[in-house]
Amino acid sequence: MTKKFLIRWQAIWLLPLALLISCKPHFELVKAKRKQYNVSDQVQADSAIIKTYLPYKQKMEAEMNAVIGKADSMLSKGKGPESLLSNFFADACLIEAKKIDANIDFTMPSTTGGLRNSLPKGNITLANVFELMPFENELLVLKLKGTDVQDLLQFIAQSGGQPVAGITLKINNKTATDVKINGQAFDASKTYSVLTSDYIAGGGDDTFGLQHPIEKKTLGLKVRDALINYIKTQTAEGKSITTTLDGRITKNE
Amino acid sequence: MNRRKFLTVGGLASATLMVGNPFNVFAMGEVKKLTILHTNDVHSRIEPFPMDGGKLQGLGGVARRSTLIQKIRSEEEQVLLLDAGDIFQGTPYFNLYGGALEIKLMSQMGYDAATLGNHDFDNGIEGFYKQLPNANFPILISNYDLSNTIMHKSTLPYKIFKKGGLKIGVFGIGIDLAGLVEKKNYRETVYQDPIQRANEMASRLKNDLNCDLVICLSHLGYSYRDNKVSDKVLAKQTRNIDLIIGGHTHTAMATPEDVSNLDGKITTINQVGWAGINLGRIDYYFEKKNLAKTSGKYEIDNTI
Repeated sequence: MTKKFLIRWQAIWLLPLALLISCKPHFELVKAKRKQYNVSDQVQADSAIIKTYLPYKQKMEAEMNAVIGKADSMLSKGKGPESLLSNFFADACLIEAKKIDANIDFTMPSTTGGLRNSLPKGNITLANVFELMPFENELLVLKLKGTDVQDLLQFIAQSGGQPVAGITLKINNKTATDVKINGQAFDASKTYSVLTSDYIAGGGDDTFGLQHPIEKKTLGLKVRDALINYIKTQTAEGKSITTTLDGRITKNE
Repeated sequence: MNRRKFLTVGGLASATLMVGNPFNVFAMGEVKKLTILHTNDVHSRIEPFPMDGGKLQGLGGVARRSTLIQKIRSEEEQVLLLDAGDIFQGTPYFNLYGGALEIKLMSQMGYDAATLGNHDFDNGIEGFYKQLPNANFPILISNYDLSNTIMHKSTLPYKIFKKGGLKIGVFGIGIDLAGLVEKKNYRETVYQDPIQRANEMASRLKNDLNCDLVICLSHLGYSYRDNKVSDKVLAKQTRNIDLIIGGHTHTAMATPEDVSNLDGKITTINQVGWAGINLGRIDYYFEKKNLAKTSGKYEIDNTI
């Protein structure tokens, strides 16, 4: 009886407190109006901002606007399992890396997501290559068991194709078939030398198959430097960059 | 009325009509207005994309964005300018200057807060730390435990902005860095469950600290085909968040998306592409709390 009485009294004292809490100077949303502005040439540039970045721009351009080569067509990513950009990227890495280690079998130097910009048709500047490959990743050669290569092939197939060179395959129902490495049919009992980047080797972009190499070797060559060296070599030989879709990855769906 | 759209979340399409006369909300007393401006994934795009035949040629540019922001600030009293991360990486400006210019320009434009994206770790956690003296705005992140890193005193979980009598709580949520960033770059950063942390932050801001509006700056990404946590998952599985300003997936949303949250109230998601090619704007209008109206629904109009 006494207990009940106490509880009632507590409740009475709580009443003004509850009112106080609910009467706090709260506001509530009654309306939202929303819009998106396009930042295009219809908007005047703020000269104060340009003044801040101009010294940086001038110094950068002095270094970055050097033309290092020429491309016959614009190299960009497409919707298919291979693209001009992915083939160029993988070919350039493989060719340059093989100058250091001739025993490399094939490469997946990056994922498609790692190719950050297209290369324009015509003059290619250093800045273009930095925008394509802004990251400071190093090339690595991994010696992989055939079963791990199989996992990597599975990754390539189920993600709809990735930048590769030295290998051809068909994607059937998200599985890799008719795999040829260096022109030879893939053999899961063999070991393979696979060129990739330290980022991808660490499981970057959710890749799999590369995490347990038998051996790991660094080449002392950054991915971006491989691309730059490749373009410069082509230029020195009087050639432009001519990449084609050669059917290294095809998709049946 | 013609271009006005009314919200339809869940089965509560007509909830807006609960207030006496929704077309004349201003008749009921003092109205406060707040303008939110936002960017995400600017990726070191200081200048517009070059005219090289690329898809985005001629678009973006910090100097133009600054003009837009200044114009809006001259027209509106209460403005918050926010960024959802990935400030760094994408042009040689970052490779040469390590992000100093990106942060300086954000300070010059008067950003109020930003969160951390995965690419903000591209020069290591030290690389981001080094640029902090250039920032006159806070870095908000509530689900990275940075206590064993050089950044242990450099971020805040949330910040409350007081704008013309309104209290706006803003907190940051980051993506799982494992698999996206090399361990040597994020070091001892510990990722914590974003849903749990977001619920804790939002409840604290709205219920304990009495914020009138709660904004989450998220770098989780808009949505994924699998069950991976995203802004859509976050919106559905939380309470007390009014707006998620998203990033990471570079999603250009035609209009913001209004999701029904755990309380059946509106949690809006917006993301404006990337590279600073767009600036997002949301104007919120508030009234003194009406005890009779607790639906959490309000009028939405995708025009300004």
